[in-house]
Amino acid sequence: MRILVVEDDPTTAGYIADGLRQEGHAVDQLSEGREALVRAATEEYDVMVVDRMLPGLDGLSLVKSLRAAQDRTPVLFLTSLGGVDDRIEGLNAGGDDYLVKPFAFGELSARVSALARRPQMKEAETVLSAGDLRMDLLSRRVVRAGQEIELLPREFALLEQLLRRKGRVVTRTMLLESVWDIRFDPQTNVVETHISRLRAKVDRPFDHELIRTVRGAGYRIEG
Amino acid sequence: MRLRLPSIRRSTPLRLAGFLLALFACVSLASFGATYLLIRSSLMAGMKDDLQRQMAGFSAAPSASALAALIANQGAVTDPSRMILSYLAPDGQVYGNAALSRGPQGYLQIDLGPGKKGNPRNYFGLAGNFFGGQLILAESREPLEALGATFLDVLFLSLLPTIIIALGGGLYLARRSDAKVARITATLDRLTAGDLSARVAGLPRADDLAAIGDGVNRMAAGQEASTEALRQVSADIAHDLKTPIQRLALMLDRLAGQEGLAEPEAELAGRAREEAERIVATFQSLLQIAQIEGGSPKARFGPVDLAEVARTFAEIYEPSAEDSGQSLELALPEGATEVSGDRGLLGQALANLIENALRHTPPGSRIFVRVRVEAGGVVLEVADTGPGIPEEERGKVLRRLYRLERSRTTPGSGLGLALVAAIAEVHGAELELGDAAPGLVVRLRFPAA
Repeated sequence: MRILVVEDDPTTAGYIADGLRQEGHAVDQLSEGREALVRAATEEYDVMVVDRMLPGLDGLSLVKSLRAAQDRTPVLFLTSLGGVDDRIEGLNAGGDDYLVKPFAFGELSARVSALARRPQMKEAETVLSAGDLRMDLLSRRVVRAGQEIELLPREFALLEQLLRRKGRVVTRTMLLESVWDIRFDPQTNVVETHISRLRAKVDRPFDHELIRTVRGAGYRIEG
Repeated sequence: MRLRLPSIRRSTPLRLAGFLLALFACVSLASFGATYLLIRSSLMAGMKDDLQRQMAGFSAAPSASALAALIANQGAVTDPSRMILSYLAPDGQVYGNAALSRGPQGYLQIDLGPGKKGNPRNYFGLAGNFFGGQLILAESREPLEALGATFLDVLFLSLLPTIIIALGGGLYLARRSDAKVARITATLDRLTAGDLSARVAGLPRADDLAAIGDGVNRMAAGQEASTEALRQVSADIAHDLKTPIQRLALMLDRLAGQEGLAEPEAELAGRAREEAERIVATFQSLLQIAQIEGGSPKARFGPVDLAEVARTFAEIYEPSAEDSGQSLELALPEGATEVSGDRGLLGQALANLIENALRHTPPGSRIFVRVRVEAGGVVLEVADTGPGIPEEERGKVLRRLYRLERSRTTPGSGLGLALVAAIAEVHGAELELGDAAPGLVVRLRFPAA
């Protein structure tokens, strides 16, 4: 993927760019708002990572200008402002996701890859699958190796989120947001507990493990 | 604006008007009374002079018979309702326009009882003895009584408009000042509620209340400026501190992710990363409490179903409770459990309370999440069967970073309940820590939506 990182702190920008390059992405790095607007308008990117506070032109205005020019490149906002109002403001300006500093690199990486493939996910899928597991979204049935699996509604939603991002890491916070609509970090390991319940039904009775734990990042379901 | 009676009774202008009115009435009564007495006594003196003069005139008669004839003549042409003349001759014969019995000499009061028209016939008279008989001359007291009645009328006519004008003026001024006071009070209420942009506007004329209004406005402007400065400083601190913390987090990420790291170093890197996360969590909570206390979430308030929130979070934490050998039980009422608020914050408050209960109670404990509808509001309550909190410590645990002696070693930032308190405050909810006998019960009483 081609990714544009616009961040004025050189250390942070450097680590983000290095990390993304290690994952095999092509990364351009800029530290000034106006310059970023020109670059974004002239070149094609798959995802943009934009800090809200930038010299020259701030992140919000940068993204607003891009959207006004019909540029629909997915944008992940980085910010030190963690208030709900700030988040809403960011999304209203045309941002697709919002990450509050300080964040772990795994979180950023997972969200960047989730953004990049979003357009394809928009198509109405009625069946999700991974290996020998099939989930029918209409009849809300889950079958693995010909065996029907009974899931509680939240377990179903959890598995659905993992399947929708098959092969990619889904972080704990992404699951909290998408399954429970929670935007704070609970101190208790609630996601781990729910994942282990889900594993007990989806993985334990079978010889092959589908739901993998990615250390320091989150979970991934293998295709 | 409608005026409440107690407030108008307490109104300064009306009290002043009442006081002045009472004073004016007293002075009026005293001066009217004095004038009346003066005029009355001069009228009396006039009557006495008149009687003396007439008596002297009759006394010039040469004999009893001549006097009798004189009186009879005079009596025939005199209206007895104005004046009566009566001579009791020595032979017992009575002459004049009235027949009066003999009495002592000198001034006397005569009451003839009601006349034909029902009018009282009171007279002031003078009796003199002549030629063995007695002559009584008496004038009607009617002018005196008329004078009294006239004075009462004048007093009434002058006092009544005074009372009406004073009361009306007082009421008008009271209403005006009451409206001003209401504006100032409303502004102070809004300021207290956290809306620092509230100002006392449109107080006409520069009176003392307008001066107070200006003072309130200056105070609010100062408060707003310093709050804004504080907010700016917090934002700057947040930004300046977050950048290095961000770098630290990314560096530790890299370190922990490095290939071929020996086991002790890898573990150390992992622990350092956890500590960094704890710093972030505490920092985030402090910022969030400050933001909530600033009152800004109020702008986002909408209807929130507390039962739905309780159901969601009970479901989230139920497996965690089960894993640690505790139980989480949910009790919801029938009917509407809606309050006005921010769903995210209310959920966070409930999550904090449930996590507190999970963390501070031993295995085997039961945790209850309840929503109740009570008169005047909805109650959200988390109770447990754990060790509880001693009564004298209950106030302290709401403070930031305060931790009970026995909890110092358990995880947690000591900000959980402080955050709950801030969320309760911004929702106008009452936060109450009680004894669940055994255990702790934390109640949030929300006003009706």
